[in-house]
Amino acid sequence: MDPELLAQVGVNALMLSSIYILMALGFALMLSVMRVLNFAHAVIYMVGGYACYQLAIVYGLDQWLSLVLAALIMGAFGLFLERFCFRPFFGDVNRTIVMTLALIVILESAVNILVGTQVRALPAFASGVIRSGGVSVSVERVVTFIIAAVLLLALIFFIRKTRIGQQMLAVSQDSIGAVLQGINIYRVSAVATVIACALAAVAGSLMGAIVSLSPYMGDQMLVKAIEIVILAGIGSIGGVLGAGLILGTIDASLPLFISGSATDAIGLGIVITILLFRPQGLFGHEA
Amino acid sequence: MKGIRNLTKPAGFAIFIILLFLIPLIIQKPYYIHIFIITMLYIIVVSSLRTIALSGQVSVAHAAFMGIGAYFSGVVSKELGFSPWLTIPLGGLAAMMVAILVGYPFTRVRAIYFSMVSLFGGIAIVALIRVAQKWTGAAGLAGIPPLDPINIPGLVNITFVGQKVPYYYFTLVLTIVCLLVLYRIEHSRVGMTWKAIAQSHFVASSVGINEAGFRVLALAVGCFFAGIAGASYAHYNLVLAPGTFSFLPSIFLVMYMLVGGRDKFAGPIIGTAILVLVLEFFRGLREYAPLILGAIMLLVVFLMPQGIAGLFDQIRAKYGEVRNRKVPGSVA
Amino acid sequence: MEKSVTERYPEVLLETRGLTKYFGGLAAVSRLDMHVNRGEIVGIIGPNGAGKTTVFNLITGVLRPSGGKIIFDGEDITGKKPHLAAKIGIGRTFQAAYLFADFTVMENLVASFYLYPKFSFWEAALNTPGYRKKEEYISNQAMEILQLVGLDKVKDELAKNLPHGYQKVLGVARALAVKPKLLLLDEPIAGMTRDEIVFSLGVFEKIQSQGTTILLVEHNMEFMSLCDRVIVLNFGQKIAEGLPEEVRRDEDVIQAYFGSEHAA
Repeated sequence: MDPELLAQVGVNALMLSSIYILMALGFALMLSVMRVLNFAHAVIYMVGGYACYQLAIVYGLDQWLSLVLAALIMGAFGLFLERFCFRPFFGDVNRTIVMTLALIVILESAVNILVGTQVRALPAFASGVIRSGGVSVSVERVVTFIIAAVLLLALIFFIRKTRIGQQMLAVSQDSIGAVLQGINIYRVSAVATVIACALAAVAGSLMGAIVSLSPYMGDQMLVKAIEIVILAGIGSIGGVLGAGLILGTIDASLPLFISGSATDAIGLGIVITILLFRPQGLFGHEA
Repeated sequence: MKGIRNLTKPAGFAIFIILLFLIPLIIQKPYYIHIFIITMLYIIVVSSLRTIALSGQVSVAHAAFMGIGAYFSGVVSKELGFSPWLTIPLGGLAAMMVAILVGYPFTRVRAIYFSMVSLFGGIAIVALIRVAQKWTGAAGLAGIPPLDPINIPGLVNITFVGQKVPYYYFTLVLTIVCLLVLYRIEHSRVGMTWKAIAQSHFVASSVGINEAGFRVLALAVGCFFAGIAGASYAHYNLVLAPGTFSFLPSIFLVMYMLVGGRDKFAGPIIGTAILVLVLEFFRGLREYAPLILGAIMLLVVFLMPQGIAGLFDQIRAKYGEVRNRKVPGSVA
Repeated sequence: MEKSVTERYPEVLLETRGLTKYFGGLAAVSRLDMHVNRGEIVGIIGPNGAGKTTVFNLITGVLRPSGGKIIFDGEDITGKKPHLAAKIGIGRTFQAAYLFADFTVMENLVASFYLYPKFSFWEAALNTPGYRKKEEYISNQAMEILQLVGLDKVKDELAKNLPHGYQKVLGVARALAVKPKLLLLDEPIAGMTRDEIVFSLGVFEKIQSQGTTILLVEHNMEFMSLCDRVIVLNFGQKIAEGLPEEVRRDEDVIQAYFGSEHAA
């Protein structure tokens, strides 16, 4: 196999996996900590990308700074979300679902009105090419992977070493037991939401630079995020890494041989097959 | 006076039904008739979604089952020449079969995890429909035959080609029949057993209820009616696109049910009717219509925990509270 | 001369052999050999966390055993699904008083008459006369049980609005709807007032006199007077067995209760 091609595919796989994982982690966090199927995660991803665009292109700030700011802004929005949109309906599945759907409807159409459906793109975060051993890969994609890896490590560190991180883990495993131990489930939920939104914003901005921005870009991403979370399994946050890598690799390599929609179908097919025999996912526990 | 009280509800219903039958005579614009037809079909779908939800399973794949019915009936009648009157019930059965097949493994997951995997199941079904392009058409399925004319010599001769009004009556009768059946099943022991499972699967199992079996039954019944509605849609619209049955419509169906009110049978009916009306009313504002929809959703979420259909009960409970507060210090 | 327990109740109804359940590395139940004979009231007691509810969950199939066998009325029922346990005649209550919370008391009972008489989907959907007769029969039976346990006056109250003691009694009523040969009661009097306890004991005696065998779990030692035999568990293992007076004086039992933090 052509080493250049292999390198390209490898880097693409890493990059795609990175973005998928950033998205899926946030979704999985909210699912296991708050038992919320946050359909609106898709629009957070989208708005995060647009926020970065707004800061970098319209206000002319440094693009890296915009990335950080976008993450912070969406994180703050996450705080607002948890406090006013999810906390009042804690435990009420029906109203939470309607809430997330209302968010999708309002945010998507708001962005649509403000920005229009014209497709925009962020300039690359890092340009250029790395050459090594007779093989060249795009710096941007490598950088994307590095950013995601750093964030991931930070998250792992956060969960393992900080008290709030440990509390998040406890709540996701046994929410009633956690409350009985005196853990403030609202605070933990807020932290989870903030992290989820910030990660989604980063993913959206990175994707906006590599591909493009559109008000509906979140929809497809949501499907991927759900695919990953289902594959990883109920309650499993670590499994998201493995599942994300698997799906990212599939999506980066198969289109070489077959069409895009067939690739999607195969990814879906794999997950469905696993679902039929093991609905709780690869690493999950019975609900 | 109690005797008269017992009469007002059925009398009200009867009048309402008669009015529905008179609508095409009052409203002449074909566009509005079209809206009524689509609304009624969605009422069947959302009501059947609620039937599934009685057992504690909120399916976020219901539009996909509508699609199974639609495509099955459309393709079979188009390619094999069978009459739509035959293929519509077959479409319902097809959707039901798929539900049973996929339903059993999914009984191992509950609550929100069930909703998540169901969402995924719906996506897979639509992807399959897309992949089967050979039969379902690259960009959609066209050339679906309309309903055959009803021809009883000497009595009636109704053609459905190019006419909306006959379709209106067909859909109206279909909707009434489907809702009656769903209502009857819900108020029988079957419905009671579903509700028991939803409240506590532990207790239900302890009295011998086969939770998995009943959950699959709920899926089967609900998806059967979704398939019927979908197939009817196919032979009305004569064209199908996969996007009509994808995960976003499925999510919206759940929303119609919840906004209308999940606890009452009338919930989906009210929810669907109101939301469709709202979207239609504000259609002129184009991009702003979804915002208004979102605003209504927020209104319902924050102010009406039981949905719009539960509003009456909510007011009655509040009013009762105020009345009781007038007698302090008394032992209830 | 008074008959011994084994002479009064000679037939074995339920038997466990070597029953074991591991959660991770922890043995919740460890090689438990016990039996309940037809017509007896047997109590399983032990400090909190001794594995008592786990035994119930294993018998009724809510949990799969890691090892051992469960034999009921001559049939091996190890690992059988929970709804099948009801079918063969095992009824149970739950420690936390699980109920159909949004149903009324009457509806709770009626819903629990699922097994007898049998009904089919179609006869229910079509509301046949035969179906309506069955439902009427069930209503009457439900009322009888409610009268037996003294809940008939509140039959139209929502289950979730009942005081805790009533909820536990409702749980027992619900379990009776299965026409059980063996009734498993999980901490049936925990949280009840004195009067409620006295009343409940009367109900259990009435149930026993009607021929139902009772196996109950309690961690309150005072309750033992009701039982014909008592089995004591600690850390998942049987540490004593016998007549209530014998067990009360047993050294190991006293150690288990007063030596641990969960003294009665």
